[in-house]
Amino acid sequence: MATMTMVKALNAGLRRALAADPKVLLAGEDIGNLGGVFRVTEGLKAEFGGDRVIDTPLAESGIVGTSLGMALGGYRPVVEIQFDGFVFPATNQILTQVARLYHRSHGRLNVPMVIRLPFGGGIGAIEHHSESPEAYFAHTPGLKVVSCSTPSDAYWMIQQAIASPDPVVFFEPKRRYHERGEVDLDATPMPLHQARVVKQGKDATVLCWGAMVRPCVEAAIVAAEEGKDLEVIDLRTISPLDDDTILTSVAKTGRAVVVHEAMGTAGIGAEIAARIQERCFYALQAPVLRVTGYDMPCPPNRAEADFLPDLDRVLDAVDRSLAY
Amino acid sequence: MYEFKLPDPGEGLLEAEIVSWKVAVGDKVEVNDILLEIETAKSLVELPSPYGGTVLAVLVGEGDLVDVGTPIIRIGDPSEVPDGTTATMPDDGTPSAAVSGAVSEPSPVSPASAAEAPVSGSVQDSRGEPVDPEAPMAMLVGYGAKPGAVARRARKRGAAMATPETDQVHESYDTDRPVSRPIDDVAPLHRVEAAPSGETLPPPGQPTGAGESPRPPLAKPPVRRVARDLGVDLTTITGTGPGGLITHEDVIAAASGARLDDRPGVDQRVALRGVRREMFKTMTASLNVPQATAWVEVDVTGTVDLLATLRDRREFHGLRVSPLLIVAKAACLAIARNPEINSSFDEAREEIVIRGDVNLGIAAATPRGLIVPNIKRANRMGLRELAEALNQMVDLAKQGKAQPADFANGSFTITNVGVFGIDAGTPIMNPGEAAILCVGTVVRRPWVVTRDGEEQVEPCSVCTLALTFDHRLVDGETGSKFLADVAAILADPGLALLF
Amino acid sequence: MAADFVQLLDPAGNRVDHPDFSYDGTDADIAASLRDMVLTRRFDAEATALQRKGELGLWPPSLGQEAAQVGSAKAARLTDQIVPSYREHGVAWVRGIDPLALLGAFRGSGMIDYDSRASRFHLYSWVIGAHLLTAVGMGMALQRDGLVGEDVADGAAVITYFGDGATSQGDVNEAFVFAASYGAPVVFFCQNNQWAISEPIALQSKIPLYRRAAGFGFPGVRVDGNDVLACEAVARWALDRARRGEGPTLIEAYTYRMGAHTTSDDPTKYRHNEELDAWRAKDPIERVKAYLLGSGAIDQRWLDELASESDAFAEKLRAGCVALPEPDLAEWWDRVYAETPAALLAQRDDYLAYRASFEEA
Repeated sequence: MATMTMVKALNAGLRRALAADPKVLLAGEDIGNLGGVFRVTEGLKAEFGGDRVIDTPLAESGIVGTSLGMALGGYRPVVEIQFDGFVFPATNQILTQVARLYHRSHGRLNVPMVIRLPFGGGIGAIEHHSESPEAYFAHTPGLKVVSCSTPSDAYWMIQQAIASPDPVVFFEPKRRYHERGEVDLDATPMPLHQARVVKQGKDATVLCWGAMVRPCVEAAIVAAEEGKDLEVIDLRTISPLDDDTILTSVAKTGRAVVVHEAMGTAGIGAEIAARIQERCFYALQAPVLRVTGYDMPCPPNRAEADFLPDLDRVLDAVDRSLAY
Repeated sequence: MYEFKLPDPGEGLLEAEIVSWKVAVGDKVEVNDILLEIETAKSLVELPSPYGGTVLAVLVGEGDLVDVGTPIIRIGDPSEVPDGTTATMPDDGTPSAAVSGAVSEPSPVSPASAAEAPVSGSVQDSRGEPVDPEAPMAMLVGYGAKPGAVARRARKRGAAMATPETDQVHESYDTDRPVSRPIDDVAPLHRVEAAPSGETLPPPGQPTGAGESPRPPLAKPPVRRVARDLGVDLTTITGTGPGGLITHEDVIAAASGARLDDRPGVDQRVALRGVRREMFKTMTASLNVPQATAWVEVDVTGTVDLLATLRDRREFHGLRVSPLLIVAKAACLAIARNPEINSSFDEAREEIVIRGDVNLGIAAATPRGLIVPNIKRANRMGLRELAEALNQMVDLAKQGKAQPADFANGSFTITNVGVFGIDAGTPIMNPGEAAILCVGTVVRRPWVVTRDGEEQVEPCSVCTLALTFDHRLVDGETGSKFLADVAAILADPGLALLF
Repeated sequence: MAADFVQLLDPAGNRVDHPDFSYDGTDADIAASLRDMVLTRRFDAEATALQRKGELGLWPPSLGQEAAQVGSAKAARLTDQIVPSYREHGVAWVRGIDPLALLGAFRGSGMIDYDSRASRFHLYSWVIGAHLLTAVGMGMALQRDGLVGEDVADGAAVITYFGDGATSQGDVNEAFVFAASYGAPVVFFCQNNQWAISEPIALQSKIPLYRRAAGFGFPGVRVDGNDVLACEAVARWALDRARRGEGPTLIEAYTYRMGAHTTSDDPTKYRHNEELDAWRAKDPIERVKAYLLGSGAIDQRWLDELASESDAFAEKLRAGCVALPEPDLAEWWDRVYAETPAALLAQRDDYLAYRASFEEA
């Protein structure tokens, strides 16, 4: 058992993957000599060499496209996109090539690639550095989308993502990068595409992932003091969603609140709400509510506290749900 | 005196180690002089002074690991007391609270992270140990959250909690408001069906009272399922929940209303909705009409025989053939002879309108209540055509699929209480018409017949017809003559040839 | 054309001749450029310090690049369009953009809150290289406005700024393609400051950047990016070309990023001090000072006055920064669309009601 920050956990997970399989390689801007702008890849170039920890020219599309080529050449690339908002030059390569090759090739060509994205706000950053673009990728068949919320999940999920035969877009909540947690380095991890019930409860289900897990857990603590028993689920996997865990929970509680930083309209919460009402309709005591970023580009960061979901907004939604 | 708090030097850092102080208590510093060097997760950073003045206190030591936001140094005038009695934030251009970094986070560093849960639904704490579901709070600490360390912001009394949005739905169902509203204004929660939903609109030309149309019943999905499973019609229930919400208990009470119970009887309240409401209104309206009723008992043996013959005929195969068909035909024929029966009153012009055709209304009992659709121009139909139209009309009515046009413009109505085994009644007229004919059940009765000049009593098939008519439009003679004509045809269908 | 390294003022402060380019300004003009560079550097230093005090979330320093920015900005007319990236504080200064507006963007009290149309200084942008396409499009608009051509009296052109790392981005190369294809009046001003965060220029390009232009079919010139006279002269030449309708030019200003990539970066992890020392000897401000003192155009008193002006400027910046108003989220629903849909207004109303429902409003 070790206590480490999420950055160190990712570092350890990447190190283990690089050590276990000589075909694994990392590619991204500033990941080699600098160790990454968040230091996630610190020390890895020194240990595994510049052929396997590749500093790339400044071109996201080029990074993803050439990594795809390396994947087809038998390697398992782990691409780092430096910030969420800079993934967009690469979306052409991701959506038209990485996501589709398996389909295009009648199942002959798989793309065992991981694309790592630090995402989310709450760090006082400038434009393009606080985005939550999960929905664009979840909407794309052929891509798997996951997000860790703790150092332990970070450590295990990055290894599982690298081992996956499918391309995985791996969202790392940068706001949680420097928070510490315990990591059991020898445990048997839960499956990658499974949600975790963080807290059991019977009055309402709160569904979240990434940086939002913590405020939801805090909301559950405060709610308990008010006599409300919330069930909190860390979704972990956005595509595919763990329908079993979600629907079993909502069938039990009858109420659901989805929390995500990304804009509400056409976001992941909308998909979850659709599934819940389709398949748990007769169990619902209230409509599925969503607590999300508002439908605007991320505002100036000194207005961010009002924009991002927080404990008060989560509890406001819980109260509204319970009022039905 | 100014107090400088450790800022976040690089996008989301939570803490830093104090590496070395470049100043000491008593030193004079100017703005931007380097105060200290810190080490973060990313790099070594020198921090410049936001203030000019004398160093009054150094609050953290070299080697300390300090959270972002912790006061680290105080600078001010040498005469000031350096232990915090002066306000820390004078507002003459001193830095505001360090904002970059943690956004409304509580004290960020805490043992964090729950480990894996091998089975979804079961709960582990941060070390992967299963947690007693009775004591869930302990493991939440693993997510960086400390019980008691966070609280919600106080809300004002009566802070509006959003009420259920059902009002919007009802707005969109009001039929007396124009439909052409911008889509953005109303969140449509229901698909608007092209086919009628089962609630019939009031016939045009009828006063619709205050112009309100019925609200769809309010019930949550689980309640709806229970209602469906128990066969309870939600439109017949008045909800006892807030805003008229139908509760689970309401449904159970409605379903068990018919069961024998040794609990005391519970009053059931039935809201006036839909068809029932319409019936209420039309019956009330007909109170204004002076109505008289005449009746006659008829030996309908001839009709019964005719029906048997018709049933055997090829052109009637697949059609329901009943006494009602013969009554309907007889009524049309009799109307031709007694046209005032088929009239209405034009109040505006104070004229009696004798209708050109017979739009024959058939009163039908349906699960939703009494409705009266009519067969247009029934007088122009042959017997077979009329039989078909009757069949169709009755089927549509039972399925709730009759269209508004079917209820419009009736001119004469037949009501059949015979299906309930009732001999006769005093029917109440359909407003806008001049008469209504009530047909009773066909029973076997002792009847006086004449055989070979001798009177005998024989069992015969007998049926009672009753005609209620608007005595302003139809006098007793006309009404009686009409009734007699119908009776004659029923007694001896061959006499129809005379009409 | 001897285009591989244009220099008109050497690091020691001596004027240098060049066969193709000359600086035609007076010593007074050069003194004005010195003042601009000194104040730009001061602005940059204060902003860096403000970040270290927690007043800004981030600051990308322009330290060391003052000559490239001030010189080229001086060549631009007010009718020319400027499209910067995010480090062109010297260009902004010359253009008359309020420094507090730039600070506000990095502080997070606003987005980019200055009138880019009136100033023709486009908004700072952080997506690397994406703005070059915008610049080319603006040039194409000028062509259609009839403001570009040999016989146009007061022609206009576009100058756009980017770094060495940006030249690897697809958008930048597409911009070169479009500019060449249409002969767009665009000066591509690349500040090759040798580093893209931790990645040296050698990783981005195997040939000197200015020679890429030839591959696309337009002229490229490399200039001493620490020489304000050369930067102005070459930029002026390129802008004149563009205004006359002779098409795009790539200028590579060979300079050095003396500071970190941003205040979040730690260059000690990938650079050596010797490199910094070598470039410190080529400082853009020192050489101009040396030249002007040598020519007698300025004296120590002039420099002292400039230092006072600089101090006063710094104090105003510090005070102004902390006084920037906090943003009100409620104002931002109206800034998503020109015609705000009803649903967004309803969302804002819900937010306001929610906000008002707390006791400490």
